[in-house]
Amino acid sequence: MQGIFVKSPILKMALGILGALGCIILLFLVLATENVRMADQTDNWAAREIENGALLYANNCASCHGPDGKGLLGVAPALNSHYFFADAGRLADINYIGSLESYVRLTVAAGRPSKTNSQWAQIMPTWGSQFGGPLRGDQVIEVTKYVMNFQDAALAQTAEEDPFQPFLDVRKPVGEQSIAVLMGAAPPPVEEAPAAEGGVRAPAELFTAMACVGCHNMDLPQDASNRGPVGPNLGNLAEVAGTIVPGMSAEEYVYQSITEPGAHVVEGYITGIMPPDFATKMSEEEIQGLVAWLLDPTQ
Amino acid sequence: MGVQQDIREKGLLAAVAGIGDDVFTRVTAGISVGEFRRMLQGEAPGRPNPRLKPHSEAFLLHIKPTYYHESATRWNHTFRLGLLSTWLFLIETITGLLLMIWYAPSPDRAYTDMITLLTNVPFGQFLRDLHRLGAEMMVAIVTLHMVRTYLTGSYKAPRQFTWFTGVVLFVVTLFLSFSGYLLPWDQLALWAVTIGTSMAEAVPPAIVGETVNLLARGAPDIGANGLLRFYLLHVIFLPLILILFFFVHYYKVVHFGISLPADEEEVGEDTASRIPAEKRVYYLPDVAIDELSFLTIFTMVMIFLTLFFFQAPLEHIANPQSTPLHTVAPWYFYWLQGLLKVADKFIVGVLLPGVLLVLLIAIPYLDMNPSRRGKDRRVAIVAGIVAGVVMIILSWMGTPYYAVQGAPAIEIIQELMPEEGSGPVREEIGYAHLPLGVFSTDDHAEYEDEEFALLMHEFTTAVEKFDEEQAGFNAARGQVTITQEQPGLKKLNWEIFWFDAESNEGYYQRPFWLHEDSIYWEQYGFKPVFVGYLTSMFSGKE
Repeated sequence: MQGIFVKSPILKMALGILGALGCIILLFLVLATENVRMADQTDNWAAREIENGALLYANNCASCHGPDGKGLLGVAPALNSHYFFADAGRLADINYIGSLESYVRLTVAAGRPSKTNSQWAQIMPTWGSQFGGPLRGDQVIEVTKYVMNFQDAALAQTAEEDPFQPFLDVRKPVGEQSIAVLMGAAPPPVEEAPAAEGGVRAPAELFTAMACVGCHNMDLPQDASNRGPVGPNLGNLAEVAGTIVPGMSAEEYVYQSITEPGAHVVEGYITGIMPPDFATKMSEEEIQGLVAWLLDPTQ
Repeated sequence: MGVQQDIREKGLLAAVAGIGDDVFTRVTAGISVGEFRRMLQGEAPGRPNPRLKPHSEAFLLHIKPTYYHESATRWNHTFRLGLLSTWLFLIETITGLLLMIWYAPSPDRAYTDMITLLTNVPFGQFLRDLHRLGAEMMVAIVTLHMVRTYLTGSYKAPRQFTWFTGVVLFVVTLFLSFSGYLLPWDQLALWAVTIGTSMAEAVPPAIVGETVNLLARGAPDIGANGLLRFYLLHVIFLPLILILFFFVHYYKVVHFGISLPADEEEVGEDTASRIPAEKRVYYLPDVAIDELSFLTIFTMVMIFLTLFFFQAPLEHIANPQSTPLHTVAPWYFYWLQGLLKVADKFIVGVLLPGVLLVLLIAIPYLDMNPSRRGKDRRVAIVAGIVAGVVMIILSWMGTPYYAVQGAPAIEIIQELMPEEGSGPVREEIGYAHLPLGVFSTDDHAEYEDEEFALLMHEFTTAVEKFDEEQAGFNAARGQVTITQEQPGLKKLNWEIFWFDAESNEGYYQRPFWLHEDSIYWEQYGFKPVFVGYLTSMFSGKE
């Protein structure tokens, strides 16, 4: 053997044995630190889920639940809230016996496509792709992890800091839900119903505040290729409203659809989904304004 | 002969020794204990040579030659590159089989399986890193093996067919490495393979290209079907092709013998398979010892590199809706990516690789020069070197540094906090060194934290650099707003303000979040844990 570096077979054997020993020592070093590494990695990937969830939250959720998770009055409930995370808080009030994480994940994935007893301007849309939403399963989990990461900050809130808004879907009286009550304070005064406060509200604002926007899409027309899944699209309302019920003008038809939703239900949609009480929530002047705005093709 | 009778005749000790020797001889397929000892002591074999028996008895040894030409065993003649390629294939097979235990080729699971492997499987990360490093080394070493064969002219008659099988093995190795790229199902994987397969689309006529692409991807875009197809290519089809061609290749190598250094024989002569007795180096024990010790040292170095210097990347989960800013091919396809910038997809993706492949295979037939001596082969060697230099230049053009630049504002943020990978903020600065507040590149303030001062310096330099270079990017100012978004989670909102050539205001903003527990891939693995141990050991003593 005439290698240029190592010629002696004895030296070769010695080096080979050293190499084998080296392999074993290195593998034992890995073994010795493997538990620490796996723990670090577990934390790392949990942290990355939260980072990814933060971006998804900012893009999809912040517009209603607030960029800081503290909710928007009348639009969506606070998540960064003591009441939301407290043991005797939201979950206890609705008798949900699963974990808060499963509750959040279910709500994000399936949404809350129901308007029963809800005071929020919009329904919670369905996000999970398995239920027809835009987010993959792993993205739903990431958003959930992000929301759950509010926990420490939320539980540190005092009653005054809690951005809690009373829920109407709970059998408990509104005054007893607040975290302040849970902490032993007197129930806060029940808020006045947000009915007409003197002035007339703008139609665009009403369209959101009355939650019309949750079911009726203003950007898409209602035609053979586009059908609103819950309520008809309103993009071409100005053109078609006068033709739906013979003998009814567009204005009459829209006005009746708002005040008596059950009078004429478009074929294929379910009767009773649209709330029947808009006449009591808006003044006559506001309804007229809303009708005119809906039929304005230039809005 | 019964054991009892044996003991009665020879005594207990001698009988046990006899049985031991018998077992040893069977295990080693023909080498007795005494012969093994004489091998280690470097004594010459007796006649007839008892050390040839394993070559006829043992399956694995029967394909090895019993002796080599002394000149062909010199390390600096072959550099053991063929042996290394085979060894790396073995390492890849073993680590690959182990990795398959924790992997399912489905978009729903593949990425989560990677994370489970990293977080919950002892040695999981080590296996993944080793497999990835082995794959890249295999491409490099097979390439070097081919370069060596070219430079020593070993492809010449009678070894034309050996060269052909070698070219097939080279291509299979490239495809093996590339097909494994998709399996982690991250952004890097998806987009590199999307670009790779899109080249096939350029095959004319359009219907053929589309069909080829459809067959590879399993759908117009890579999805569940594409992943499954690449997986099957990677774990079954390509390895089987490789094993088949390996045996053909190796049979030819043994059949013709390893070609001797050119100046040891006459021009046009091939004496490699007629080895004179005094030039013979027997496989057992000399070559075996050499190969074994070489491979153990190599393996140790490889494990060392895996632990301290190499981590297989894992980016965000594959997202067909979002193309990362700078998509890069694996390094061994950089030259194709570089070419794509100057030539058409059909030329680069189909014509050129096709022509190159045919050229490679045809080299032994094109090169009519019978001499393998360097001084007789100036044209061939210069041509080879020129081809190599062209490849390196094209590869350099394909690197991210030569990438098509995006808008300056996007590039500045990309430099500091890239969409994929780590970048200086995540890797070097880290959560702890990010103070809360609003910081502008116009401030030129003194920052208490040295790491953060470094970051602001880099930010300022990047903004100023693009301001100077780009006409449509003037009076630029960068700003980063760091807020505590949640416990353990900081938000960095990067903003760039500038005026374009017509003095219109420009604005770009991009938010990123950083969690205190997240470690980016350049940092993890064994190294930080080991360094952490060392530091805690030393700081504990202070």
